[in-house]
Amino acid sequence: MFTQTLLTGLAIGGIYALMAVGYSLVFSILNFSNFAYGSIIMLGAYIGYYAMVRMGMPIGLAIAVSIVGSGLLCWLNERLAYAPLRKRKASSLFFMISAMGTSIFLENLVYATIGARFYNFPELFAKSNLEFRGISIGVLDVFAMVFSFVAIYGLNLFLQKSRTGIAIRAASYDIEVCSLNGVNIAALIGLVFGLAGALAGISGMFLGMKYIVYPTMGWITNKAYIAAVIGGLGSLPGAVVGGVLLGVLETFVSAYVSSVVRDVFSFSLLVLLLMVMPTGLFGRFLEEKV
Amino acid sequence: MTFKYRTMIPLAVALSVALVGCKKEADVIKLGQAVALTGDNSIWGTPEKNALEMEIAKINEKGGVLGKKITLTAYDTRGDATEGVNVAKRLISDGVCAIIGPGQSGVSIAMSSVTEAAKVPFIATTATNPKVTVDDKTGQVRKYAFRTCFIDPFQGTVAAQFAAKDLKLKTAAVIYDVGSDYSSFLGKYFTAEFEKQGGKLVGNEAFRSGELDFRAILGKIKGSKPDILFIPTQQKEASLIIKQSADLGMKPVFMGGDGWASPDLIPLAGPAVEGAYFVNIASLEDPDIQSFVKDYKAKFGVDPVMPNPIMAIDALYAIIDAIQKTNGTDSAKIAAQLELTKDLPVLSGKLSIDPATHNPLNKPAVIQQVKDGKIVFKMKYVTQ
Repeated sequence: MFTQTLLTGLAIGGIYALMAVGYSLVFSILNFSNFAYGSIIMLGAYIGYYAMVRMGMPIGLAIAVSIVGSGLLCWLNERLAYAPLRKRKASSLFFMISAMGTSIFLENLVYATIGARFYNFPELFAKSNLEFRGISIGVLDVFAMVFSFVAIYGLNLFLQKSRTGIAIRAASYDIEVCSLNGVNIAALIGLVFGLAGALAGISGMFLGMKYIVYPTMGWITNKAYIAAVIGGLGSLPGAVVGGVLLGVLETFVSAYVSSVVRDVFSFSLLVLLLMVMPTGLFGRFLEEKV
Repeated sequence: MTFKYRTMIPLAVALSVALVGCKKEADVIKLGQAVALTGDNSIWGTPEKNALEMEIAKINEKGGVLGKKITLTAYDTRGDATEGVNVAKRLISDGVCAIIGPGQSGVSIAMSSVTEAAKVPFIATTATNPKVTVDDKTGQVRKYAFRTCFIDPFQGTVAAQFAAKDLKLKTAAVIYDVGSDYSSFLGKYFTAEFEKQGGKLVGNEAFRSGELDFRAILGKIKGSKPDILFIPTQQKEASLIIKQSADLGMKPVFMGGDGWASPDLIPLAGPAVEGAYFVNIASLEDPDIQSFVKDYKAKFGVDPVMPNPIMAIDALYAIIDAIQKTNGTDSAKIAAQLELTKDLPVLSGKLSIDPATHNPLNKPAVIQQVKDGKIVFKMKYVTQ
């Protein structure tokens, strides 16, 4: 049971990690928590569903469509809702309120247009699970973990090696100075949101395939947000570690204590951790912590 | 003065009508129906009324009851509790001797404040809340409130007997939603009956409403290798649990209650749901009701929406039986006789009323199964 629980925890943690990276990416630049992210993930799942089921695209193409679609939506979200605030140098509190508003708006838009019905992706793999000595894992989970790891690794490589990546990292330290050095901040922020949106597309696809596509599915990002805080908001390795850690811990609590107290446990952990390590495991900033 | 007289005349008329009641027109038997004919619940209410009218016409053709024709007065409750009270008042002042309906627990509970005082019985059709027939404040049975459907948790009893006696399975695990009365009571009734039948409960896990990932608790259950996994939830949770069990390589017999009865179940749960069973109140494919379904379809052009028409017709037969046995249309006597109903042949099978709760006793349920990607009728099940 121990190994089975650990494996399941890793699979759940992998999805948390992917979403937490998206949160942290935006936080690292703009120092606010983009609560609309969950809705972008939900829309990513709907885009993937339409591409794959309604238009009959193969899985690879559907993922690509979902990535591009969510990336655009996230970028648009910044342009319409946050850019005007940024120009007026509003405090991060207003960004957060705007984000919550966007989230509720998008959710209700889906209710009003598509409806509350549940949608599901078709079975992708002929055999749904791999089994070894009584321990099994879904084929889709393995696929999702590998894909997420590649995406996060690719993002990391881009941030470390490319010129644009260096600009993004510079902006995450000091956006003013970065701007003085000739970096087009507006374009840079747009790009960061686009990247976060692309990750949302991947998360949405996998969440939809693993579970069900419905308007409030984005609520699961609460967990990803906690994961990002545990890892240290703004830190990408922190987000990955926080996500995996939270997934594994939750699974163990569910399996060995009770699934009913699982959230009591994860939220207490969050409060406790913030008391002991206010910046999370890998965080740098203290003053912007939510 | 004149003003006072004017108000008193209609009042006196109304009073006399109310007092005389059923006996006023000696040549007919007046039955009332409280039914949702508009609003969201009309999908079930309209067929309920259609079916009753059709059945009453048939009975009248054959000479009626006690040599009298039956008339049906149906008023629209809109599925609303306040409107239900008004409907009950109107029916009682119209002089009906018994009321069939309503189909909603909330409307039924509200209505009983009027019917108890007027001593006119009503038989709810699909109101499944225990409070409909038993006042939860006093714990006393409501003397004039009855129903023909079984209460929700009874499905747990049916599932447990079917699993233990017919499928001959020995061990079971239950996964239930701790935030839902429906789910937790179904689970409790299942466990109690399954253990009574000699089965063993090897896992009992709760989750919170809104949960998506059940693999942690499934992993725990997997170790105890249950023969049956009983999942008393709606189709969303059930299908996720079934899908994720397959991911963990588990192959128990999945069972559930009528929360599963949605066409969504099969696409959402995928191939793993094949062979699963669930308990339902009624099914269109029930062989006992085929002639009714045929007549209904011939008359109205569509299939009757289950299970309301069946429950309404069952109620009609219970009332007719009480009228025949008391040889009259006195409402209070009918109510007293309804309580004694035992093994009465009705449309859904046999009806007995439990005098202590006014719920039907061992009411037949329907077991449905997912077979070749479709929900099919497996059998009619009568608990012992």
